[in-house]
Amino acid sequence: MPIGVNVNGTPRRFFSVSASAREDLQTQSTPSPPPPPPATESTAAKEIPEYMQKWGELDPNTVTEKREERRLVRRDGVQPVGSRRRRTILNRMAANRAQDIAFEQLPFQAFQEARKFLLQDRQEKLKEIETQTTRIKNLMEQDPAVSGGPSAKEARLRSMRNRVQELIILADINDPIVKKKFEDGEGDMNKPIYRYLANEKWRKYKRLILEQRISQMNLVPDLLPAINPVADVDLGFGRKDIAPGEFVDSALSEQMPRLTVQTFEPGEKLVSVVVVDADVPVLAEDSFTTHCHFIASNIPISPTQTSIPLIRIGQEDNKTEDAAARKIALPWEAPYAMRGGPYHRLAVLVFEQKDAKTLDVEALKNIKRRGFNTRAFVEKHKLNAIGASLFRTQWDDSMPGVMERAGLKDLINVQLKRRKIEPLPYKKRTERMR
Amino acid sequence: MNFSTFRSVFRPVGSITRFGQATVPRQNAPSIRPSTTPITGTSSFSSTANLQKRKRGGAPTDPRIKAIRYFLYHPLTPRPLHFSRLRYLRHWTIHRAWMLFLRKRRRAEELELERQYNSMRAACEHLRLMDSNGMLVSEAEAGGQGPDAMRLGVKGREVGRLYRAAMIKRGVYGSVPIEYARCQTDFPSRDGWNHEWTRE
Repeated sequence: MPIGVNVNGTPRRFFSVSASAREDLQTQSTPSPPPPPPATESTAAKEIPEYMQKWGELDPNTVTEKREERRLVRRDGVQPVGSRRRRTILNRMAANRAQDIAFEQLPFQAFQEARKFLLQDRQEKLKEIETQTTRIKNLMEQDPAVSGGPSAKEARLRSMRNRVQELIILADINDPIVKKKFEDGEGDMNKPIYRYLANEKWRKYKRLILEQRISQMNLVPDLLPAINPVADVDLGFGRKDIAPGEFVDSALSEQMPRLTVQTFEPGEKLVSVVVVDADVPVLAEDSFTTHCHFIASNIPISPTQTSIPLIRIGQEDNKTEDAAARKIALPWEAPYAMRGGPYHRLAVLVFEQKDAKTLDVEALKNIKRRGFNTRAFVEKHKLNAIGASLFRTQWDDSMPGVMERAGLKDLINVQLKRRKIEPLPYKKRTERMR
Repeated sequence: MNFSTFRSVFRPVGSITRFGQATVPRQNAPSIRPSTTPITGTSSFSSTANLQKRKRGGAPTDPRIKAIRYFLYHPLTPRPLHFSRLRYLRHWTIHRAWMLFLRKRRRAEELELERQYNSMRAACEHLRLMDSNGMLVSEAEAGGQGPDAMRLGVKGREVGRLYRAAMIKRGVYGSVPIEYARCQTDFPSRDGWNHEWTRE
């Protein structure tokens, strides 16, 4: 008898063989023991002995007991699907689905008491919201002279409105269903509680990293005097998501990125997207300058409308006849870095346009790319940076092709070298120098 | 005693005993109570009880031994809580409700303290502004309050006498202030007993 085969012809299972390897066995070697001709297949059912028929229906997807698995292999010649663990879980899930009690109705006493208490608290909060809104209404109708001057009235109104916002959050924050929905990513971003939770989550991890990269790579103060990100910006090229500050393959960054901008404030906004390279070497002056790779304006975003598909926006721009409806002012230029030079930092900045006013894209087309001054641009168009991301680019294997297609053929073979600093001439140490 | 918290690390050697079961080993049971045959009856070949033999883990351990083993070997930290998704959510809900309950209770206690303080303060103020006839006097006529409680007003000692007495912080019985020694009352009279008094 060969080593790997059991008495009944089935492949022997070794302890060291994992579940996945067993699946291989099923697909490969199960048919290999004498392949029964299709004609005898129908008669095979009759040949099954009586004691085997007593075993009843055996489903390869759900058998969990060792004995049943063995019987399945013996009688039907089918290996059970997946691991036993997986099958057990599937069984259990099916059983759970059969019961199907809603989560909030699960019959656990402490849980139900807790829910009752939380619901009662929620009712109190709702009532408080109602009274607070009535008070706000009354105060708004009040004469400013009575409430201590217009500025005092405004301040009071603002604090009262903040309190209402706070209460709206507090009314829902203890709801387990809300928490569950948010964790499942099913939260409705039109509702304040989900925006609040998303904001908190973003600020706890992603924003910290973004801030760190922005300060480490000196986007502040190289490009802007300060950035206070209030929107979550996700950057990606093709299918690849880019973490802030990651090196991006030049072949990937030849195409426009896709942006996902999640704002946490209600309402629609118009934003401009600017991509600036902060490290373009100027060989003649032995220094660096900036280069604007991309400007698009008048892109609407809202808490539920987060995607900015720049590629599709570009396609739509090409289709439209109306020049005013176009959004891309400066089309994408592939970022490049020269051989031997330091890496380039490319900042992706998302600006909110003041009062959601549209910018004149035709006028923006005249902006000079080389030496682009972000501060002046922001100042001139009354923009406010709400989000940022960045990536880096360096010389790699695909760079020559990218540069050739970008029309920078003459720069491909330029090799940058660090200038050697000559040491100072030797001078004999004299008494005076000591 | 519930050892379930320590179950992963602490497993008594023969831990099948149910609570309230006999502390003596089972072998003695037939001789003490021969009537309970089906559980403890012995066969002719074996001295071990049938059911006991069938059980896993051998003879039940004396709870005292179990307790000794537990206190000798259990780790100081209980095992961490590992919950499934929904169980964790339930746990979270209960935890939030409990925290909310504590917060509300604390707030209610604070408010109650505040109310009591305000009430005491109002009473003291009332005493301060009261003359010997129990009539209310004006602020100018009354004495000082707070740090200079001993200052007399325009009307002199007759106004706010009880207030001043209550505010004396000098040691009366050692360091115990006077308001703890006795209630501040308007009697007996300062003049003592009027022996001359007769009914008209």
